[in-house]
Amino acid sequence: MAGCLIDPSRAPVAFGWRAVPQLFEELQQAEADRRLRALASLCDLMHDPERIYQAVNGGFLEQLEVLFEDEDSSVRTKTCELLHLMTAHSIGRQALLSSSLLPPLSRLVEDNSSSCRRNVHRVLNRLTLLPAGADALLTLVPKLMLKLRGEEDEEEEVQVLLLSTLSSCSRLDALPALASDGVSLLGHKLSHRSPNIRREAAAVLMALSVCEDGKLQVCEESLLPVLVNLLHDEDIEVQANAAGVIMYTVIITTGKKQCLDLDVIPVLLELVSKKEEVEEEKKRKSRKALVMYSLRALTALAEAPDGRRLLLEQLPLLLRRSEAAEEDHDIRRDAQTAVRVINWRP
Amino acid sequence: MAFVSQSQRAPNESYTFASRPRPVENRSKYREPPSEQTHSNYGNIMYDRRVVRGNTYAQLIIPTTAQPDPVEAQRQQENRRRAIARKRAREQFRPSTPEALQGRKHIDVQTELYLEELSDVIVATDVQCQTDAFLDKPATPLFIPAKSGKDVETQIEEGELFDFDREVQPVLEVLVGKTIEQSLEEVMEEEELASLRAQQRAFEELRNNELAEVLRLQEQERRHSEEKGRRIAQQKEVLKKEKETAEKIAARAYTQQYLADLLPAVFTSLRSHGYFYDPVEKDIENNFFPWLMAEVNNSLEKRYTTRELLDTIIHDVTQKRLKMFKEPEMQ
Repeated sequence: MAGCLIDPSRAPVAFGWRAVPQLFEELQQAEADRRLRALASLCDLMHDPERIYQAVNGGFLEQLEVLFEDEDSSVRTKTCELLHLMTAHSIGRQALLSSSLLPPLSRLVEDNSSSCRRNVHRVLNRLTLLPAGADALLTLVPKLMLKLRGEEDEEEEVQVLLLSTLSSCSRLDALPALASDGVSLLGHKLSHRSPNIRREAAAVLMALSVCEDGKLQVCEESLLPVLVNLLHDEDIEVQANAAGVIMYTVIITTGKKQCLDLDVIPVLLELVSKKEEVEEEKKRKSRKALVMYSLRALTALAEAPDGRRLLLEQLPLLLRRSEAAEEDHDIRRDAQTAVRVINWRP
Repeated sequence: MAFVSQSQRAPNESYTFASRPRPVENRSKYREPPSEQTHSNYGNIMYDRRVVRGNTYAQLIIPTTAQPDPVEAQRQQENRRRAIARKRAREQFRPSTPEALQGRKHIDVQTELYLEELSDVIVATDVQCQTDAFLDKPATPLFIPAKSGKDVETQIEEGELFDFDREVQPVLEVLVGKTIEQSLEEVMEEEELASLRAQQRAFEELRNNELAEVLRLQEQERRHSEEKGRRIAQQKEVLKKEKETAEKIAARAYTQQYLADLLPAVFTSLRSHGYFYDPVEKDIENNFFPWLMAEVNNSLEKRYTTRELLDTIIHDVTQKRLKMFKEPEMQ
């Protein structure tokens, strides 16, 4: 029974407590075949949080560092997949941060094999679920921007992962991405055909436009027409993110002027006033985000004289939203703020 | 005293003892034996006191006929006395029968009348026995217990020992269970991650919202304060300009007044200094008069020269006349 393997692609797993240590010992063998099987079994085991805890506490992560430099690309891919599973839990994420695995991992971003690269990006993406992880990846942001720029024909998934990682990092600190000329790059991505990429690119832009510099760059690169186009997009998340970028950009005067030139107020009003049908929860949440961002954008636009003039005409519509009929507390508050700003007299 | 002795146990179990011949040691009867060997101490037996010398027949007779030595006799008496005392002491210390208990009395009894002859002679014979060396033990017969109970038969039919469906059930359960467990774990993990992301996203949206509001208000504040600053600066400018203008006006009024009679004074002083002149007059003065004076000077000079010349001529003439007058007088 011990001689034949039930599943030839997996190494046999010891019982109970010995499972994880024994598999890690197996990883130190010379043949790539056995290592691959041991890695496959480990991937299966790592779905259980207790195993992750055991692996992390036993200090086995350092062994993975050796595997990063393995010649066989499938071993590298599997190792990254293992890390991807481990970072599904907070312990794994924290362990990855506190270990010295990040530099070799970042070297693997340049790897030859595309599946390996994909898994590396998955790991990095999961790592950003932890704010400290996003913090640690800030140093990698220029490299990732280069990657984004260099691969126009890279798979969609990798681009989406990259963009998502970048958005999490930029939420913490937008400066590295801005310094690598992120705004213009993302402007290209905004017109990509895949809605995922558009959504993520708009999310990164939103994170970038929080800081003053970003807003200025968005105005300079004349991305606002593209964004206004995106407001008409089918995917609601894309709309929400585009509205978010606009919301930030119209805070500065240049942005206000440009947006008013583009005649964005009717579009936003339409978005705000659309009464949604009963949808599933996720859509409702995105809908709520969209409405909130549009209201904020309108509030900011109301500070400009032209904008105020236009909005004074449309005041009843906003009043309707701010009434008690609106069940969502946040939207009501936003609408009230908007009304207040519109009615403000110096 | 150390000595080498052979005392062996013979195979037929009698005890033998043999030792090397050795001389008797010189030591006192009641003294401790010396610790070291006294091989050197043993002396010649010829000079040993204990060895009898000479004829031994005579020696034997002498002790019987000789008078008892008084010292000897005394010593013997003493020995006798000591022996008696020893016996007595021994009798005293011999445990006698204990005293009679209260209410009883010891009586000597002699059992002579009731003597029996011990005629019970137990016949004892010596018997020897010896087992044979290493006889093989015969095989023990098979222990077959007595038959008891009922006779029962049994026969295993086909398919009864091993029922696949039943046997496979635990294996199947484990397999299916493990697969389901694994997939449940994976699903739970995904759900956990999804809920984590959803929560993060909701938080992010709220945060973005609030951040936008904060930024907008910040911007508004900035604009307002900038505007205020500009207005204040403008106002200051205006004030400054006003002040400047007022100062200018005051200065101009004062200067005007100060310089009101400056002009005639200037003109008079200039005129007095001769800065206003008639050009013809000046010209005449500057050009004509010097020439005129020069000409007048010239003509006057000419007159003077002629007069001087005339004077000299006259002088000469008078001198000559004088001379001429004087010459004739002398003649």
